[in-house]
Amino acid sequence: MQAETNNLRYADVNRDVVRSIVETGPRYYVALATAGSVTLLCFFFPWFYQLYFGIGAAGMNHPGVWGTYLASFIFWIGLSHSGTLLSCVLHLTNSSWRKAMYRSAEAMTLFSLLVAATFVFVHVGRPWFIHWSLPYPNQMELWPNFRSPLLFDVMAIATYLTGSSIFIYMGSIPDFAAVRDRTAGWRNTMYTLLSLGWRGTDKEWHRLHWAYTFLAVLIIPLAVSVHSIVSWDFAMSLVPALHQTIFAPYFVVGAIYSGTAGIVTVMFVLRKYMNFEQYITKVHFDNLGKLLLLLSLIWSYINAVELFTGWYSGTSTEYEALKFKMFGYYSWLYWEMILFCAAAPLLCIFKRFRTSFVPMLILSIAVNIGMYTERFLIVGTSLSRQYLPDAWGVYVPSLVELSIILGSFALFTTMFLVFVKIVPSVSIYEVKETMDTPTVTSNTEPLAPPEGSPA
Amino acid sequence: MTNIALGLFHEPRSALAAAGTLKGAGFATPELMSPIPIEGVEEVLGEKRSVIKRFTLFGGLIGGLSGFALAAGTAVLYVHPVGGRPIITIPPYLIITYELLIFFGILFTVLGFFISARLPAFRDRVYVPETAVDKFAVTVACDDEEHFRRAEAILQEAGAEQVREVAEEG
Amino acid sequence: MNILERFTESWRKYRKPGYYEEFDYHWAMTIDLDRCTGCEACVTACQAENNLPIVGEKEIAKGREVQWIRIERYWEGEYPDVKLRFIPMLCQHCDAAPCETVCPVSATYHNQDGLNTQIYNRCIGTRACAVYCPYEVRYFNFTDHHWDSPLEQQLNPDVTVREKGVMEKCTFCIQRIRQAKDHAKDDGRRRVRDGEVQPACVQSCPANALVFGDRKDPESQVAKSMNDPRAYRVLEELNTDPSVVYLKKVVAKDDHAS
Repeated sequence: MQAETNNLRYADVNRDVVRSIVETGPRYYVALATAGSVTLLCFFFPWFYQLYFGIGAAGMNHPGVWGTYLASFIFWIGLSHSGTLLSCVLHLTNSSWRKAMYRSAEAMTLFSLLVAATFVFVHVGRPWFIHWSLPYPNQMELWPNFRSPLLFDVMAIATYLTGSSIFIYMGSIPDFAAVRDRTAGWRNTMYTLLSLGWRGTDKEWHRLHWAYTFLAVLIIPLAVSVHSIVSWDFAMSLVPALHQTIFAPYFVVGAIYSGTAGIVTVMFVLRKYMNFEQYITKVHFDNLGKLLLLLSLIWSYINAVELFTGWYSGTSTEYEALKFKMFGYYSWLYWEMILFCAAAPLLCIFKRFRTSFVPMLILSIAVNIGMYTERFLIVGTSLSRQYLPDAWGVYVPSLVELSIILGSFALFTTMFLVFVKIVPSVSIYEVKETMDTPTVTSNTEPLAPPEGSPA
Repeated sequence: MTNIALGLFHEPRSALAAAGTLKGAGFATPELMSPIPIEGVEEVLGEKRSVIKRFTLFGGLIGGLSGFALAAGTAVLYVHPVGGRPIITIPPYLIITYELLIFFGILFTVLGFFISARLPAFRDRVYVPETAVDKFAVTVACDDEEHFRRAEAILQEAGAEQVREVAEEG
Repeated sequence: MNILERFTESWRKYRKPGYYEEFDYHWAMTIDLDRCTGCEACVTACQAENNLPIVGEKEIAKGREVQWIRIERYWEGEYPDVKLRFIPMLCQHCDAAPCETVCPVSATYHNQDGLNTQIYNRCIGTRACAVYCPYEVRYFNFTDHHWDSPLEQQLNPDVTVREKGVMEKCTFCIQRIRQAKDHAKDDGRRRVRDGEVQPACVQSCPANALVFGDRKDPESQVAKSMNDPRAYRVLEELNTDPSVVYLKKVVAKDDHAS
């Protein structure tokens, strides 16, 4: 780690990160405009059409009442898991390779959660009443049903959203202070407010360290519980393929898995387009590749266990559901998922693969496609084969749904693009902690002396 | 208006040594400003106690109690029998308790951080922008000119690049 | 009663599974599969009585039918020895209903008559109850429906017309039960007599295969037929405790079905 950044000085870090925020070229504006318009056209317009026409605009039917909206919701919550969870775990284990990338990973968490929240609105039949699921005193004296797994979801995701936002903000306070000193005009005002007057005194660092550690300790069990709770939306039903105790670990492992792949994608993009080649290096991709391999093995094991216990149970419903999953209408999706999520990551055994940037990018995208398919299969195949054979049916997503899925990626990209221009996407002070301290006199450009000093 | 002696160093060890010497010479506790947290501050300047953990604990307890009170209390306020289950069901309500425990724990931790770090700052205080880049600063309050000369001498001896006298309001 | 006694009594009341000490009425239905001919008169009657939407051919092709009671068909054998078995499937009004617990906004609950009720104006359409129901008898309004003139004049004024985005299911014709209870109250606060209230499906069955009544009353027809040796409940192993009891069809020993 130290060897990679030996020729970097502290001042270079400040300069590079501030430059990434302040300097915007035409490429950025084109990207932002494209992402924004795709979001509008592919996410919001079809959704408004669906609000007018009813859920019938999507492909859902009886019995396939849950479809890609819920699968997307789970996918985006899963994607949100790696950022903050990984950041917290690696912080508590004092690992150094996390330092350059955790800020963007945490941002990924936050925006994935926001996109997932919009999917709740899209999925529900009467979203204009969705506020009824919140506990607030009202004239009807009605309260939400706290026994419902969907309500655990509401509480857990609200907590996770708050926790992630607070976590990323707290970690950024010193960086806002550093950027504040080098900007002017409206940016200066914004960063002055955001940095709260941070000066970097030993007392402030001490307090920040403890607050950050306590937040990490609180957020780790929270993140595990959030995806377990999302899995219980399914596991607490009586549907044969869904009513399984392994769902909680299955979903948590799947979430960290797809989130890690998401981080690899985001790191590649940041490195290439924000000039962070010296900060995000082969070491990061190497470690992420090892993590991806580990998670892929665990994920494959859980899938194998599901198949084995389903077969071993001997019950006709369970067996029928598994057979449908592997050889039925959606079987091509199932085998594609196995290929992308169980077979392809085995390439990460080879260090040459792990340390090459473009192959890792392709693998990470493939893993996420496979994981999305997994979520879709969980929802689609299980509802197609329940207890009463007369009610078996197949569900095919409609164009509106596919467009909204595409639009959700554009929405995420738009939010992320706005983020990289406001918040330092590489953590300045944590990167400096991994570098040698400056031993020569300063090479920084002379700064104006601070106000109020007799100089 | 107190006068502050400020010394800029280019690496943390000498800054820390200077702070230690100042403290030993009878000055008020010096403050160190740095771009990254410095190792070994507590040995030189004394143990720091963090009150944040009390906030976290308190927040967690409040959260847990209010979580269960919310779930069980609202169930009792408007009785709504479902699924052959009792009105106060323990396992789901424990989940709500847990989530609100974490939620309030997080909020109170942040509150504790703000209170103990005295942020946000509402008045101007001594600040040198270089310390956000690659310089380490030691500041110490001086009563008069003579004090300042002594502080300056100690800082120069420890290897400061610059020593400035700064005035701070209040 | 002092505070401690009041507290322990409340605690006991709120911890009792199912909450109700006893139901006012406990409506139940038996369906005699020996008598059922699969004519679907019950399906039509239900559609007429409860303002079921006319979904349309295109939407039904997509699988979005709304039939609060449906006749399930199971084919056996190969041509020319094909046999057809059918069973009417409607909301079983389970006493331990899996669908009730999952609604996040409390739009479905078990009322004091033992009915599993759906509150249309509270429903926000998460469709979790449809997933949780193992009998798959809950139906969602995927679109707004309209009735071509003059069919809208046939709509039952006692029943709401549901808007899009709302779940619906068999209610044991709760509007008829309410009316019967009102009559009984006006009539001098007596209880509803056996046979006085019949849901539309029960009333229209030409073979009298469906019997409906209060199973708390041991003299009622439904209570007696629930004790029939042929009685069984669908998916009983799931412990949903349904209120609909089916009477097995009796077939000759060498034949699968006649």
